[in-house]
Amino acid sequence: MSDQEITRYFNEMLAGLEELLYHELSGTAHKKVELVGIDFLQSRVIEGKTLEEIIEKCTREIISRGIVRHLEYSIHGFGILLKFEVEGCIHIPKEAKLKRDGAKPYMCPVANMIGDRILEILNYEVAYLANLDIDEDKGTCIVKYAVFENAQKIGQVSDWTEI
Amino acid sequence: MGDILDVIKTRRSIRKYRPDRVPEDMIQKILEAARWAPTGENHQPWRLIVIRDPVTKRKIAHLARMGSGSLATAEYCMGRMRQFEAIRDSREREKVERFMYTGEVSVFLGHAPLLIVVAGSCDALDTPYDLSACAENMILEAHSLGLGACWVQAPLGSPRSEMKVKELLGIPSGITEYKALMVLSFGWPDGPRSHPRPKKPLEAFVYWERFGRTERPEIV
Repeated sequence: MSDQEITRYFNEMLAGLEELLYHELSGTAHKKVELVGIDFLQSRVIEGKTLEEIIEKCTREIISRGIVRHLEYSIHGFGILLKFEVEGCIHIPKEAKLKRDGAKPYMCPVANMIGDRILEILNYEVAYLANLDIDEDKGTCIVKYAVFENAQKIGQVSDWTEI
Repeated sequence: MGDILDVIKTRRSIRKYRPDRVPEDMIQKILEAARWAPTGENHQPWRLIVIRDPVTKRKIAHLARMGSGSLATAEYCMGRMRQFEAIRDSREREKVERFMYTGEVSVFLGHAPLLIVVAGSCDALDTPYDLSACAENMILEAHSLGLGACWVQAPLGSPRSEMKVKELLGIPSGITEYKALMVLSFGWPDGPRSHPRPKKPLEAFVYWERFGRTERPEIV
């Protein structure tokens, strides 16, 4: 198999697993997959003292290893909401298959691996994938990912829909 | 044999408790009810951790607040918290939504006189289903004794939070060893529930012979 075929093969397998998990667990499935993908960056040296430093170092590693072609981030909503604009992600075929099959994509390994480093290194308490929108024609994703540093951040609400 | 329907129909999820302890004989009855839950191939995978230590309860309540509050904060900010739209009074609706997105909905675990964490070995065929039946048995038995109870997922909703609960309680941490599925709280109710939760009529979810067929056929 070519690299492209291998990628498609594994993405279709992942999509199948996600569909089954959703079928078994319904809406709670997306909270259960937060650890998927985290091993990749756990085996790399990522250091930093701020949200920005961690995200930028993770992003460099993710791009240099070819998981995504381009990734931009911005921080909103009292430092809770991270918006990732991703181009050329290796997992786009997985998200596209889920959409074709009528399921809303709910697992982003790239967000998971960045979130994991934020939680581990900066000692944040909780992360939550708030939204994952994909445009398979353009090969882009917009990920809204919430990170909560501590209990004081819980309940700090603002409008994330226009971000 | 008595009809249990009255017990089932009068049960409510109780989150406000008086500080009084749950008597030992009642705890024993609740645990006994768990023992008799239906279980695939009689595997009985449940492991129940009974918690009365205030420090442990507060730690579980904190994890619950982080779990439910993070989810509700994000859902509210994304404009997806629609389950309270039936509340007409906007101030009342906002109060309930705030109760959710601040995670206050889960804080009561720290004040409940008794918690039982329901875990189970992963080597059974039907562990999650067995544990759910086991939990329901305990809740119904508690209600029949005049106690209040509440079933809570929040501290165990995500794998990371579940790992923290496992570590706190000394549950073997391997992902293929034990699954901690829910926390149950028990105590004497401190007044009735403030918000009734009406149930759908049978016609809304019962179908006859085929999915979607609501008219009840006559049996000849």
